[in-house]
Amino acid sequence: MDTVVAEGLRISGVSYILIFAVLGIFYGLIKLLLRMLPPKDDSA
Amino acid sequence: MTDLLRGIVGMADWRVWAMFGVGLALIWLAVKKEYEPNLLLPMGFGCLLANIPFSSAVGGGFLDVLFKGGITNELFPILIFIGVGAMIDFGPLLQDPEMLFFGAAAQFGIFFTMMLALLVGRIPGVTGIPGLREAAAIGIIGAADGPTAIYVATRFAPALLAPITVAAYSYMSLVPIIQPPIIRALTTREERMIHMENPEHEVSRTVKVIFPIAVTLIAGIIAPMSVALIGSLMFGNLLRESGVTERLSKTAQNELSSLVTILLGITIGSSMGGKQFLNPTTLLIIAMGLIAFVFDTAGGVLFAKLINLFRKRKINPMIGACGISAFPMSARVIQKMAQQEDGSNFIIMHAVGANVAGQIASIIAGGLILALVR
Repeated sequence: MDTVVAEGLRISGVSYILIFAVLGIFYGLIKLLLRMLPPKDDSA
Repeated sequence: MTDLLRGIVGMADWRVWAMFGVGLALIWLAVKKEYEPNLLLPMGFGCLLANIPFSSAVGGGFLDVLFKGGITNELFPILIFIGVGAMIDFGPLLQDPEMLFFGAAAQFGIFFTMMLALLVGRIPGVTGIPGLREAAAIGIIGAADGPTAIYVATRFAPALLAPITVAAYSYMSLVPIIQPPIIRALTTREERMIHMENPEHEVSRTVKVIFPIAVTLIAGIIAPMSVALIGSLMFGNLLRESGVTERLSKTAQNELSSLVTILLGITIGSSMGGKQFLNPTTLLIIAMGLIAFVFDTAGGVLFAKLINLFRKRKINPMIGACGISAFPMSARVIQKMAQQEDGSNFIIMHAVGANVAGQIASIIAGGLILALVR
């Protein structure tokens, strides 16, 4: 396979997986924030 | 007298007439069809200004000044993002954070199109896509996010900026036409009729304030190249959610956004010179942009169907299509489709959640591409 195409394939795959990973971190962050700071906190 | 005549003589070039046609077509789409009028109208007029023979607006004129001061240094897309951030309510996403993964899945079109562009560029005779940087700039049309497309294209393929921008904004406006047939082809009627319960819990203001700050820090540390994009989006959102900068938030949403959109549109239009724009690469980019949107939609829908294999409470797979960043157009399209199948089905909250997740995911995608492609 052409090296440039192989490089493109590698970057595409890694990027797509990393997007899931980064958004997975945001998912964990939101879950954590929702648990630590429920709405009733605002009334305090 | 000679000055007057050279303008008329310049009209002998067929490319001038062709670009007048392109400019007028953009204005027509904006005025008659109301397709992204805030951007396509200034772009169409900018195109006319740039293609009048010996125009004083370009070649050192005010449009060149704007191009250097707002596009080359990436200022305009960043300022636009502050306005976009101030307009976005992340509440539906914070109520239902699972929607984040649909935002990720629906970026598939970027990478599919990037690979396609790379392969097309390898065909003998195709000259406009020599390497990975150009292919990545074309693929980013699939981010369905104008400022990100402009930002990446400016860095990687400035010569392709105009067709990439035209494709990105045109297809964003055509989401109501592009998405429904793909969704129908990939889902059954029963799947499209799936009801989803709206999350009942509210999100505290504290969470809404912490979210943009935390996202900026995390995304910035992981992909520093994304800081300008995600940072400006989240700064705008912080102005909105802080509750203490209402005046600034409204200014970002209205005056800043409108002003920069005018300048961005007319400046991008001015880069549509006949010599650069009228070539086979432009047609290839327009075609590949459509492919990017199609595979974004397919990626989101198929991911939702995949997840449904493992879930007891099924997700309406149309929600996956909202993971593209075309906000809020895509969410509206999916809600309309859901109601066409079942008038009592309201999935708008989930759709909006996935849609704003797509906004975040598209910026992350842009940042990762900028970081990884050399």
